[in-house]
Amino acid sequence: MQDKKGYVSFVLHAHLPFIHHPESDDYLEETWLFEAISETYIPLLLNFQKLVEEKVDFRITMSMTPPLLSMLDNKLLQRKYIKYLKKLIELSKKEIERTKYDERLNKLSHYYFERYSNDLHVFKDIYNCNIIQGFKHFQDIGVLEIITCGATHGYFPILYVNEKTVKAQIAVGVQTYERYFGKKPRGIWLPECGYVPEADKYLKEFGIDYIITESHGILYADPTPVYGTFAPIVSPEGVIAFGRDIESSRQVWSSINGYPGDFNYREFYRDIGYEADYEYIKPYIAHNGVRVHTGIKYYRITGKTEFKDYYNVQWAQDSAERQAGHFLDSRNSQIENISKYMSNPPLILCPYDAELYGHWWYEGPYWLYILFKKIYYDDCNFKLITPSEYIDKYPEMQVASPCRSSWGANGYSEVWLNQTNDYAHRHLHIAGDRMCELANLFPNAKGLKKKALNQCARELLLAQSSDWLFIITNGTMVDYAKKRIKDHIGRFTKLYYQIKDDKIDEEFLKDISKKDCVFPDIDYMLYY
Amino acid sequence: MPRKTKEAKEIEEEVKKKNTKKTATKKESAKKATPKAATAKKSTAKKATAKAENKSVAKKAPVKKVATKKSAAKKTTEKAVTKKAATKKASKKIDIIEYYDLPYRYNQTIVKVLAQTPTTLFIYWDISDEDRENYKKQFGDNFFETTKPVLKIFNDTMNYSFEVEINDFANSWYLHVNDAKCDYRIELGRRPIFSPSDIGGTDYVYISNSNEIEAPNDRILIDKAQNMVYFRNVKTNQVIGKSFADISLLRNMGKIYNIYDLYKELYGEEDLYNPSSNFYKGEL
Repeated sequence: MQDKKGYVSFVLHAHLPFIHHPESDDYLEETWLFEAISETYIPLLLNFQKLVEEKVDFRITMSMTPPLLSMLDNKLLQRKYIKYLKKLIELSKKEIERTKYDERLNKLSHYYFERYSNDLHVFKDIYNCNIIQGFKHFQDIGVLEIITCGATHGYFPILYVNEKTVKAQIAVGVQTYERYFGKKPRGIWLPECGYVPEADKYLKEFGIDYIITESHGILYADPTPVYGTFAPIVSPEGVIAFGRDIESSRQVWSSINGYPGDFNYREFYRDIGYEADYEYIKPYIAHNGVRVHTGIKYYRITGKTEFKDYYNVQWAQDSAERQAGHFLDSRNSQIENISKYMSNPPLILCPYDAELYGHWWYEGPYWLYILFKKIYYDDCNFKLITPSEYIDKYPEMQVASPCRSSWGANGYSEVWLNQTNDYAHRHLHIAGDRMCELANLFPNAKGLKKKALNQCARELLLAQSSDWLFIITNGTMVDYAKKRIKDHIGRFTKLYYQIKDDKIDEEFLKDISKKDCVFPDIDYMLYY
Repeated sequence: MPRKTKEAKEIEEEVKKKNTKKTATKKESAKKATPKAATAKKSTAKKATAKAENKSVAKKAPVKKVATKKSAAKKTTEKAVTKKAATKKASKKIDIIEYYDLPYRYNQTIVKVLAQTPTTLFIYWDISDEDRENYKKQFGDNFFETTKPVLKIFNDTMNYSFEVEINDFANSWYLHVNDAKCDYRIELGRRPIFSPSDIGGTDYVYISNSNEIEAPNDRILIDKAQNMVYFRNVKTNQVIGKSFADISLLRNMGKIYNIYDLYKELYGEEDLYNPSSNFYKGEL
């Protein structure tokens, strides 16, 4: 066995915007959550469990954002997920009949039937419909470190013109974490890795030790960090920043030759929702008859060709194992090179969207499982570690101010501020100012007024999700995203006038409180 | 890059009025929430097509003129509201009809600046009706016709300023600046179009000042004059200074940053950034 010369830290950012529509079953956007539970969250839990059972010592870090936690804890969405699964199980049963003509295809139908049936079992019987408990368990036994995020994934580099709105994002992020995990988070995933030094004092105020930044958050820091992204830095205010490693990110993410593009992997876009006979598939697609993804996908990427071969689970696993080996070798040589020049062992930070693993890259969770096993059993020069453990082991770090940055295209704010979405910012800013105005006009309110003021805070936070701006830039689902900004700003503004005029409409308040039921413990005095 | 918006006079008061109107007719049948259902369907259809088209998903979002869209949509809601008023006792279930639009303006004098990139600033502004009246009183009724808006950009780090002429059709602007990692502040003002005598002999009228921001840094600051590197023990808060001239550190840094430069060289054109989130992205 080699001596350990360095560390690798995986950080998976699990996030979805708060989507909850008790008023209708027509919002297909709710299925984002269900797809993520089946394809990412449950597979991660199952693979963690396998590693624990096989006595593999591993470490992983995950941010679970407050909106995601709120949705996973929501009874209505839990019921809707079960309904979603039952339909999929019903469909895969029919598929077993339908595909009898082809042995390979039929094997896949059986695979989906078993997989979704198992999801239902895991969700209902093991986790009692609440998979947060699952993640908490792995945190409690010490293999997983969960960190928090901004309350609704509000993008700090644009919100910070009113610093109280950034403070509230942090405060509610920390509170929500405590509610579910029973302790304070040590780290935070800044929404979109959006860093501004103005947030440091609030991060400290709410007990945050460290943040995750994009590579140039460290490389362009002031003064220049002598160890690049291979060691954390500490800001003058005392916030520790870990920067993304460029080489390992590239291996996974590159659109040209990243791992998820392997020809044996499952093809995301070929789904029976689009391909099966219309009358047959109609009960399983959108209510209005529009074809959508069902989650049953029979093909592998195959190559740069329209012709697609059937998916083969074994082949896909072989590819994942090969790539895990490649990743391991690459980190070995990277650490071998770098460690010579450092006083402390280097840390390679690998942050990704959690939903990349499983949803986009179907084999991702299996790849992680194999990689973690290899790191534990194979001859390699590094160990897995969480950022917290690294800080505790090597508390001496260079003092430098991280660079204002994000992990969006081109590294700054273009994704969340451009000609498609810039109209929204003045509304978000004004609503933020008005929230502060309300808190100062009516401090320590009681009864109905307090309820209304707290709901105002919820509406403001929901309007601030970076997701809406991202979706508008991206050009798909634009109507939904625009509607969400309008709805939350609209509800906020209406309540703002009702509170000021002392004419709170109780029915209206009740209605929107039911729809936008995040953060039950919120205190609007955060904006005071 | 001026961003033009239509000169629609949908001020916030209207929204306020509209909202009150709606609450008056809040009782209605649950099934008849037509505007909402319509939007829902529209967005589901979008998702379907988006994912079907998958790899050819256009990066450009359809830039609709917000103002035009707004007024059309508003008409339909108002119609829906009136219709419902007639049938308001049809159902026992209370459901609130909701339809919102963003106000065109907030009627307050404001200038805000944000950094889009290290060298592109985004500025938005407005002048309240009250302030407009005051300027007219002070400089004559034709003040806004005989003057044009300008933005003065102050770089407070390098201590220089420059001015760009804008126009009254815009309420926001993207602006290129040359120096990253500097503090910027914007002043909105007006200058006479023809002659200072049109507005009582003055060449410039100050309107309002923005917040101050620091534009992000865009490079490795390796050449910065610096003698010491400071390390802090985050457990004990003890700070240790190490000489920057220390040969081993300098050599290390060269190695560590060379790797980064090498990557930049190799993959310069390739997007190394995480394509952010996730579900709605449509492609890897």
